Amino acid sequence: MADHGILSSLLIAFQPLNFIACFIGAVIGTLVGVLPGLGPAAAMALVIPLTLKLGPTAGLIMLAGIYYGSMYGGSTTSILVNVPGEPASVVTTLDGYAMARKGRAGAALAIAAIASFIAGTFSVIALQFFAPLLARSALAFGPAEYFVLTVLGVILLSNLTGKSRVKSLIMMMTGLMLSAVGMDPIGGVERFSFGLESAQGGVSFIALTTGLFGVAEVLSVMAEKEEPVDLLPVKFRELYPNREEMKRSAAPIARGSVLGFLIGLLPGPAATVAAFASYGLERRVSKHREEFGKGAIEGVAGPESANNAAAGGAMVPLLSLGLPFTPSTAVLLGGMLLHGITPGPLLLRDRPDVFWGVVGSFYLGNMMLLILNLPLVGIFAKIVRVAPKYLMPIVLVLCVIGAYGDNSNLFDVWVMLGAGIVGYIMRKYNYEPAPLVVGLVLGPVMERSLRQTLIISRGNIGGLWDSPLCMIMWSIVLLAAILPPVIRYLRGREYRPALKNREPKQSPLSLSSKITQMFKNLLS
Amino acid sequence: MKKLFSTNMFVRKEIASSLVLFLFGVVFLLYDLKYPLDQWRNPGPGVFPLMVGAVLVILVAWQLVQDFRKPKPQGARKNHEGGTGSITEFFRRNRGETKPLLMVAVFIVYLLLVKWVGFFVSNFLFVIISSKLIGARDWGRPIALSAGVSLFCYFLFEVWLKLSFPRGALF
Repeated sequence: MADHGILSSLLIAFQPLNFIACFIGAVIGTLVGVLPGLGPAAAMALVIPLTLKLGPTAGLIMLAGIYYGSMYGGSTTSILVNVPGEPASVVTTLDGYAMARKGRAGAALAIAAIASFIAGTFSVIALQFFAPLLARSALAFGPAEYFVLTVLGVILLSNLTGKSRVKSLIMMMTGLMLSAVGMDPIGGVERFSFGLESAQGGVSFIALTTGLFGVAEVLSVMAEKEEPVDLLPVKFRELYPNREEMKRSAAPIARGSVLGFLIGLLPGPAATVAAFASYGLERRVSKHREEFGKGAIEGVAGPESANNAAAGGAMVPLLSLGLPFTPSTAVLLGGMLLHGITPGPLLLRDRPDVFWGVVGSFYLGNMMLLILNLPLVGIFAKIVRVAPKYLMPIVLVLCVIGAYGDNSNLFDVWVMLGAGIVGYIMRKYNYEPAPLVVGLVLGPVMERSLRQTLIISRGNIGGLWDSPLCMIMWSIVLLAAILPPVIRYLRGREYRPALKNREPKQSPLSLSSKITQMFKNLLS
Repeated sequence: MKKLFSTNMFVRKEIASSLVLFLFGVVFLLYDLKYPLDQWRNPGPGVFPLMVGAVLVILVAWQLVQDFRKPKPQGARKNHEGGTGSITEFFRRNRGETKPLLMVAVFIVYLLLVKWVGFFVSNFLFVIISSKLIGARDWGRPIALSAGVSLFCYFLFEVWLKLSFPRGALF
């Protein structure tokens, strides 16, 4: 293990097939980031069947490329069109678009790309340090610890989307229930397959994710009114930030990288929360507070570095514990399982080539993205003009091929269509599909560890909290479950008298209150 | 007035969605009783789904209570009583849903056609029709797009990646 360092991981990533996979992943990721609506989770689900032909290392490198590539692409449309390509780039619209209106689009794009590159590289270095450390500690985990960990994941991830916690939990439970379809993981008894041969292997992960993310997205786009996009022009010569802009960006990039990585380690919409947290922090510490919202370079540099660092941070629990903390890493985990790779503490020991190959591809991919994004930014931005009437049929065809290609079975395509319809209805009633996918992935681990613990402890339920580690983890579970409603209640009590005394006066929202509102909506 | 009406509609639809989920949870729980639970020292295949199903039912019940407790806007009831229940009225109110509904219908026809005319031919037709449905005005571009997509898929997935797609009477 010790012989694997930056150099050896780069050597794996530089192998021709892995190099090409990384390049294709980075390009697809950038395109996905540019296009509003189609997120990295959906794109990864669409591409999984294609990666199965490439083998585990190259396949996972391509999937990871899509994941972090989308973080780069998202900023392009935020700056040039005022349309965030993905949620993590929402905050970049505030100052990025304002800079573009002032004729500094090139500088904003360059700073966004440089910040993304620095933060991305920083997060890989940190990932390389933390993931093996955490994986080694996790080797001491028995089934009881794994069960508590999955329960902790369910509790913490109920805030995955930042919307209603109860609705997230409902979706998570639905995902756990769906994971029970097919053979049971201990006794091999067939469950909930209703005699259908195609359902014996369980619900097809690809069919479900392509349906919930891809088909549902197309149906949602169809229900909306198409609006023309106003694209600001940018020339290659304008892509040079001046000395002042570079100087002002340095500290926000450093702060954003550290903050983003730390937030990435936590469950939830890490990249988005990291971007907002970084924006809030920069506004507070900046010497140019008055410029925020009007084109402050710090408002681009901080959030863009934070969302990229968070993407790297989210890989730590995935690779070392096998727990996905974000929708995209849940799909990545699904991809790993389909490749026959089980992420977790044993990944480093059993498949170091995959682990270090993926880590090495992060360095390579970040470099590629920097080179790609700077000169080709104009071309990428023009893609946002591709009308849905041409793009959406292509997405649907890819969904069909993805669902069919998994098992060469038309039944899975019907499952995908069903999931798409359900996903569309879910969106209408604020039920997010991401917790369902996480539940589907966590389900088998949770069930296996629960039943193994009970078998080992001979039916003694106390076996679930016998070890000191379990006790500590259960305490965290309790805190995670109790604290948020208590804090909400206390805050409510605090604000109620103030609200009573307030005069019923309507005032336009200031920039700070708008940001606070957006941030609160994300976290509540 | 229109806003009040739509808010009330949304609350009612939220209740309906929670009820559907509640029913799903209950049916799942009842179906799960088919599988052996065995003993705690060797839990059977029915234990985990039973626990998860029970938690789901409790959560949905809680959500349902919340939905019922949501304040309904004043005048909404009166407005509802005044509304007509015709199909035309339903489609007028849910105009945005027509296109997704049509797309689902086209999708179903496409999947049924795959067995008869083969994957690539039905795919070709599907891209043209869905493109027109989403908003393409002319025929030329959707046909060109469809031909391009079908050829790309054929060479990438069938020729290069050796995936075999269903064949029909035509191809």
